Amino acid sequence: MDKKPKVAEKVSPAETVPREPSILRESVIAPLVAYPIEVVVPKARQQTPAVGQRATRLDGRLHGLGQTSYIDDLSFPGMLYAKIKRAGVASARIKSIDTKEAEAMPGVMAVVTGKDVPCNSFGPSLKDQPVLAYERVFHAGDGVAAVAAVTEQIAAEACEKIKVDYEVLTPVLDPLESLKLETPGVHAPAANIYQSKIIKKGDIEKGFAASDHIVEGHFRTQMVEHVPLEPHATIAMWDANGRVTIYSTLGRITLGRADVARTLGIPISRIRIVATIVGGNFGGKNEITTEPVLALLSKKTGRPVKSVFTRPDEFIASTTRHPLIMDYKTGVTKDGRIQARKIRLVLDGGAYCSWSETTLSKACILSAGPYNIENIFAEAHVVYTNKTMTGAMRGFGAPQVCFAYESHMDDIATLLNMDPLDIRLINAFNEGSISPTGQKLQSVVVKESLLRAAERFGWNGKGSTNAGAKLLAKENANGNTVRV
Amino acid sequence: MKHRGRGMACMWYPIGFTVAANPSSAVVKMDEDGTATLLTGTVETGQGSLTILAQIVAQELGIATDDVNVVSADTDSTPMDTGAIASRTTYVTGNAARLAAEKVKLMLFDVAAPLLGVKANQLEAKDHKIVVKGYPQRNMHIGDVANHARVVTGEPPIGSASFNPATVALDPETGQGKPFGTYVYATQIAEVDVDDETGDVEVIRIVASHDCGTPINPMLVEGQVEGGISMGVGFALQEEILFDSQGRQINPNLTNYIMPTSLDMPEVVVDIVDNYDPTGPFGAKGVGEPTLVPTAAAILNAIYNAVGVRITSLPATPEKVFAAIQAKRDAQPKQITA
Amino acid sequence: MVTVTINVNGEKRTATVPPETTLLRLLRENFNLTGSKLGCDVGDCGACTVIVDGKPINSCLMLAAQADGRDVLTIEGLATMDRVHPIQKAFEDCASLQCGFCGPGVILSAKALLDEIPDPTVPEIRDALGGNLCRCTGYVKMIEAIQIAARNMRGEPLEVNR
Repeated sequence: MDKKPKVAEKVSPAETVPREPSILRESVIAPLVAYPIEVVVPKARQQTPAVGQRATRLDGRLHGLGQTSYIDDLSFPGMLYAKIKRAGVASARIKSIDTKEAEAMPGVMAVVTGKDVPCNSFGPSLKDQPVLAYERVFHAGDGVAAVAAVTEQIAAEACEKIKVDYEVLTPVLDPLESLKLETPGVHAPAANIYQSKIIKKGDIEKGFAASDHIVEGHFRTQMVEHVPLEPHATIAMWDANGRVTIYSTLGRITLGRADVARTLGIPISRIRIVATIVGGNFGGKNEITTEPVLALLSKKTGRPVKSVFTRPDEFIASTTRHPLIMDYKTGVTKDGRIQARKIRLVLDGGAYCSWSETTLSKACILSAGPYNIENIFAEAHVVYTNKTMTGAMRGFGAPQVCFAYESHMDDIATLLNMDPLDIRLINAFNEGSISPTGQKLQSVVVKESLLRAAERFGWNGKGSTNAGAKLLAKENANGNTVRV
Repeated sequence: MKHRGRGMACMWYPIGFTVAANPSSAVVKMDEDGTATLLTGTVETGQGSLTILAQIVAQELGIATDDVNVVSADTDSTPMDTGAIASRTTYVTGNAARLAAEKVKLMLFDVAAPLLGVKANQLEAKDHKIVVKGYPQRNMHIGDVANHARVVTGEPPIGSASFNPATVALDPETGQGKPFGTYVYATQIAEVDVDDETGDVEVIRIVASHDCGTPINPMLVEGQVEGGISMGVGFALQEEILFDSQGRQINPNLTNYIMPTSLDMPEVVVDIVDNYDPTGPFGAKGVGEPTLVPTAAAILNAIYNAVGVRITSLPATPEKVFAAIQAKRDAQPKQITA
Repeated sequence: MVTVTINVNGEKRTATVPPETTLLRLLRENFNLTGSKLGCDVGDCGACTVIVDGKPINSCLMLAAQADGRDVLTIEGLATMDRVHPIQKAFEDCASLQCGFCGPGVILSAKALLDEIPDPTVPEIRDALGGNLCRCTGYVKMIEAIQIAARNMRGEPLEVNR
């Protein structure tokens, strides 16, 4: 007789997984999105040779149709949302972090703090920044805990319920104060001046002695932020082979992967980082932010986890531009030739090093301006303060020093009663000029750019608005820009 | 009363990282119909790098921009790239892409040479064809060569290359060395109106003359200059992160962090300086960051030209400018107004 | 929970959401129309601009419940299966968008402007874009493209892409 063997009753997976209370989403039906059938390829994209063509962008059409996928547009089944709790205090010792109430909230799937990070430090040069601050807080935007929950709102509420006991310390806010040896070290025992650079060329005392006039200038610039329209966004998810895939707005995915490997203590081959088209970077998305934290939350919950910075997060928890304090002293002959230039730069380096080393170097190298100066002494120092960390931002110190050396140049021109154009043409680099670091320069066109700009502008004579400019203005009365 | 003023600023800016190696790798593979795919680890952040790289690869292979498909930004499938930073993409990643495309081109030449009855070094790639130099009628469509390579010779054309600018470390005492492969130069001239009753500065017009080596795509260079200038206007006149006495930001939002809107932008005239850098891909250098470097200086020099006050700290807000104008007036001996 | 029915891009869509849900979240998360972007969530940046009953608004400032019964046009509704909208075409030809994140909001502000003023001056265009922040482009090529699109929509010949 054929009797079928008794088969064990199958247990439905849904009955074994505890249900979490969640706000049900409507099942998604296909959205009404038009994909225009006819694709007209603009002529410039079809021309050979390709270099020099005014070709439209690869992503131009998708942008205009709203079809470019940024990270916040991506969604995965079972995805959770993460929020980072920010310190809110600029300098403090963390005595304790109590996450029990947050963890018990319905809808909260995991909470992590600095102790959960295997290697809690990173940075493009000095590795002085924690993934999540654990013992000390160095700026008000420091993350101290992270929550993954079924909705963003629950995650944010859970962050409020995390209790952190701080011993509040006096913050150091003024970079010139920070420069003084007697000021307590922000990252004690490390000194507040964490990097310095010197450029020495020729003999400045000889240069000043050979000058008819010595001019001094003192300049300061402010802290600004990149303000990319797209905030930092990350999604992390694991597969059963122990590989983590991280979607991120990072502009440097190779570096990001190395940082995630190091902070989480896993081999590089287990990490995949994917960047989509990013909605603006400008330097602010060139190091990791929440990537290791999201990877940890995703591992703990077994689900994809997404985090998007709020606009206030962008300001307080991502890097900013270094404020600079710049002192210039220039010796010049009465016919406008610069003989010597002495420069001191102090960079407000914020709470962590980030890209300060590069900014310091570039600012120092560029600080004398694109001018032939035989005798240069430039020193630059970056100091810690308890303010938002300063990092890479479009120009790495160049916009700040250019503001200084070009304002200074005009002051010199005024003193000598010279046209600002003439004094620049006298001193500017030529092809083959030697830079302040002793490098022979090729493909140099400073003077060409000065003359071309002056001609297009209608610059003529000293300080007068001339007929050329008026004519140019008339031709563009309807406000159109003029093409080359 | 409004006063018109003009001011200029010139600048120099390097391409790539300071001394440190910052390599980029690229892979180019050619399809059987003469179109190609570029794999690059760089990230498109809005600057248009993927389009530029497509143009560079297309130029090397003699095909059109639209024939190159660019795959980017996936550590699993694209080769390493130091990243979209330091205005390095056109120069460093561009060189890598061009070298990779050149390897593909040479593979195609090796396949086409016997078919056209010449040596490989007698061939060039242009207008979608592999052509005998000097004998344009002796040619093969690049797709036919690529297909032949795959189905007959058994060597599908694929090339990979990397590039890193040559630098020399800086001496720690004197800073002497060669920190960068190359630099770009620019001048911006600003025309402003300063209202001496409010301190308000309106930027009327900026003429920007920028060097980028060969402009791979002049339309995208203009876009970078215009965008950089808008950041420069904000840096000069509006933007500032403010802290309270406890070190917390006061204005971490776009309501109170003032940045340029369409109403704040001047008229912009973009001029690209003729130049060619032999170390760059087809003579190109870069332009992403330099575009905002001289803007604030030009505007502040224009303010001085308009009302005779030297503002030495940024931003030159109306309050600051007005206070400086007042201070200058108070310092002057009384005059009969004109 | 509230039940909201809106006419989005010509199609009636319904969802049941918590009462504090904004129109922006409804569009992005419930209707999967991710073209409208979240840039600040408080009405400062304009990346969430959509057109409601003919007027451009910041959808992050409107509750989903307030949009109940209304006509909403998002960026996804501008093009048809036959062609892209002239504004989208002009933006593509002029390389007016770089990172593209502010694009949908800017294009809808432009559409609202051209629907009301078919022949706008440059100051009028600047004014219409005044609530849309862009960090990449400086707005220059957007203004150019809107002028070209306006000419095209008035039936005048399109300028050659130079």
